[in-house]
Amino acid sequence: MTSLVSARNVSKSFGNFRAVDDVSFDIEKGRIMGLIGPNGAGKTTLLKAVLGLTDCQGSLSVLGLDPFRQRKELMQNICFIADVAVLPRWIRVSQLLDFLQSVHPKFSRTRAEELLQKTDINAKSKVRELSKGMVTQLHLSIITAIDAKLLVLDEPTIGLDIIFRKEFYGNLLNDYFDEERTIIITTHQVEEIENLLTDVMFINHGKVVLDSQMDDIPEKYVELLASTDNAATAQTFNPIYEKDVFGKKVLTFEGIDRDQLAGLGELRTPDIADLFVAKVKGEAA
Amino acid sequence: MIQSQLALLKREIWEHRAIFVVPVVVAVVMALTSLTGQVTINDIEHIDIAVVGATNMPESARGIALSGIMVGLSSPFVFAMWILTIFYTLDSLYAERKDRSILFWRSIPCTDFETVLSKLLTAVIVIPLVTFVIIMATHLLVLLNVSIWIDFRGGSAWHLIWASVPFIDNWTATLVLLLALPLWLSPFIGWFLFVSAFSKRSPLLIAASPIVLLPLLEKILFGSVVVAETLFVRAVKMPLFAGLDNMDLLFQGEDHLETLANTELSLLGLMDLGGFLANPNLWLGLLVCGLFTAAAIYVRRYRDENL
Repeated sequence: MTSLVSARNVSKSFGNFRAVDDVSFDIEKGRIMGLIGPNGAGKTTLLKAVLGLTDCQGSLSVLGLDPFRQRKELMQNICFIADVAVLPRWIRVSQLLDFLQSVHPKFSRTRAEELLQKTDINAKSKVRELSKGMVTQLHLSIITAIDAKLLVLDEPTIGLDIIFRKEFYGNLLNDYFDEERTIIITTHQVEEIENLLTDVMFINHGKVVLDSQMDDIPEKYVELLASTDNAATAQTFNPIYEKDVFGKKVLTFEGIDRDQLAGLGELRTPDIADLFVAKVKGEAA
Repeated sequence: MIQSQLALLKREIWEHRAIFVVPVVVAVVMALTSLTGQVTINDIEHIDIAVVGATNMPESARGIALSGIMVGLSSPFVFAMWILTIFYTLDSLYAERKDRSILFWRSIPCTDFETVLSKLLTAVIVIPLVTFVIIMATHLLVLLNVSIWIDFRGGSAWHLIWASVPFIDNWTATLVLLLALPLWLSPFIGWFLFVSAFSKRSPLLIAASPIVLLPLLEKILFGSVVVAETLFVRAVKMPLFAGLDNMDLLFQGEDHLETLANTELSLLGLMDLGGFLANPNLWLGLLVCGLFTAAAIYVRRYRDENL
């Protein structure tokens, strides 16, 4: 088994609602996978299944373990930040470090202290006394100090200002990430993480609508900015999505040779946010 | 496993500071009461004669009297401990959901079993032990306080107090009581943990409702009082004092008091620990507690809140 995470026909229902619907995918070691989807698409449910927080149908293997049944072993090698608010508000920073040192075999207190020294966080402070940005810094610091193989981030920077967000991702790449580690990340602020992703997966209505390496996106997808006249010709190539921008048409194509569209207008690779809209809305159309 | 459990127990004390704040508050109240008591007692005429009288009492009688005072000092702690245990257990699995830190706690390599176990152990061992230490400190503080007063009155505090107090008997009996009480009341503790694990709001109300409503319903529907009686027996009739008859001596006439003064009466002697441990109702209660605790673990593990 080479995949770090391997999902085959994974489903999860709440009553009649299928939050995750027959999803299959693999994530290899050393990748940064962006999991993108609208609210209620099933991202969080899928992540919870990966983290062993919820049971699911189908076969799901994370680090070779059944996440729901072998959660304790799994948690020694997985970290997650589900939302900025989850650190208990009553705990002191020093207590948090003491606690993790006792319960987490892979936590390095020295490393955590090193990382915290770079911030304004005081070891004596309680979490409730820290600003939202500082809580996230703290959370990322302790997680970086855990020698885990997989990090799951579910909207980690929600509610943070742009400076903290940039810093968060900067630290994530500089201090945490290396080829032995793997990250799965979901966020609504796609444009901010686009450059750090190696892989991207779109999920909508519980189904995977795109699963690709970032490097393959330019080959598979192209966006054409065409005048209205040329648009009619372009439409014969079956765009997956089209929209009007300043009197021109923007058409998104999948699996089409760029040469075929040459001469019809300006060609470019769609950014992830546009591609996401194209896939999700195109599907609905 | 043991290291994680100790860390989890420490976490409970950090989070629920009431575990030591409540007994400390009781201790402060008791210490202040003993101080004001001295001021009042000073106004009593011929109080010095009482000191002389105490000096002339046989040592065993002084020991019993002092032990009685210590029991008096301990009782409010036992009461406070039980109230604390109720609030602690009801909060223990509810607070982490309310402040949404549960996802953080579940991201740590500790199983739900270990976590819920730490809450149960806090209720049945940590809280009694903390209470016990503070009771001992209060005893010493109050006795020291009284010693100073006696010295001012010309009595010998060493002779009157320190040489006579049956510390070992009193403290061992206190510890046994503090540890036995949560075991006897464990079905309630288990129920509170379970309510704490599942209730979405007002765990106290949810926990209290069946305790109040079930006996009422039974009475209305069947005219019987089985539930009420079971709950009542469980709540107040702990079978630890099987030798309670000895206690009657304390409430009888002077002749008996004299007999009492000449006997080696001990608090431990009043307890029947063997009988308590052999009582099937104790084990039935522990079984109920175990079932509720298992249910609490199940709920924490399988609850699926669609975030």
